[in-house]
Amino acid sequence: MKWTTSDIDMYLKAKEYVDTAIIPLIPLDWEKDQKGAVSKGEFSSILIEEMEKQFKGRLFQLPPFTYLISEHNESKIARLKEWDRHFFDNGFKHIIYVTCDGDWKRVEQQIPDLLIWVPALPLENLDPGYAKEMITGQMKQLLPLITDKWQSEPKERNS
Amino acid sequence: MSEKEHKVSRRQFLTYTLTGVGGFMAAGMLMPMARFALDPALQAGGDTDFIRVTSVDDLTEEPQRFNFTIEQEDAWYTSDVDRVAWVYREGDEIVALSPVCTHLGCTVNWEGNEDYPEQFYCPCHFGRFEKDGTNVPNTPPTRPLDVYEMEIRDGDLYLGRTVQR
Ligand code: FES
Repeated sequence: MKWTTSDIDMYLKAKEYVDTAIIPLIPLDWEKDQKGAVSKGEFSSILIEEMEKQFKGRLFQLPPFTYLISEHNESKIARLKEWDRHFFDNGFKHIIYVTCDGDWKRVEQQIPDLLIWVPALPLENLDPGYAKEMITGQMKQLLPLITDKWQSEPKERNS
Repeated sequence: MSEKEHKVSRRQFLTYTLTGVGGFMAAGMLMPMARFALDPALQAGGDTDFIRVTSVDDLTEEPQRFNFTIEQEDAWYTSDVDRVAWVYREGDEIVALSPVCTHLGCTVNWEGNEDYPEQFYCPCHFGRFEKDGTNVPNTPPTRPLDVYEMEIRDGDLYLGRTVQR
């Protein structure tokens, strides 16, 4: 489900079935590498779009968690934990963070739930048909991460 | 042309133009609102033409997955939307099913779970459907999978909008 009023109506009627939130982690940079930041954001939204389509009835796609690339890890993580706490306490047993920013991979241990990190592919240079195939290929690997997560217990949050 | 006539015609011209533009703007605002209010079906199924999906000869008794693209207009955007159909053929009959689970809208897969061969399986809350799209009792979905409207022209299969059963 998406961040729209019609999907929220559906959610409110079927809450007990929707136990998973997906949050994009999107870096911002208007100083050095604008294009790099944009391509990370663009690629992760393509992936999330697909995930949402597959799992519309169980997964809620939240607006992105954005940050300047210059923001320190401690501060980002602290903010992220607040988001996590808020959505976990209010109905989402599973929270999946999706990003193309490799920095998160290095602090994965400190992320409260599942991190899916995928390097951004330069889709703009590809023939659209081929790009679609690549995405389909990626999805084949990513979707099981989500269904596997559903087989496991929700991740414990300390305190 | 006399001066007088000229003036009148210019005023007329302005009047017409202004009414024209005003009327046009009002219609521009009202029409989508009326459509929105009167025809919610437009939103759900989309107002689509028939799109060629495959040649009939390629269909098998086993449901196969076909992807195709339609242009969809909703309240704010026109966009290309990818659609999927599970299509099979039994004798003369061709069935094209929508993969959208009738419970809460996840995408179902033919034989998506090893434990349930010959069925469509929904990974979200384990909904199941028979080959013809009938929902399996005691799984969350309460109605069959939607079917696509179809046309066959020159040996090719064309799919249109989906219909609830
Ligand atoms: S969305 Fe398919 S079983 Fe719930």
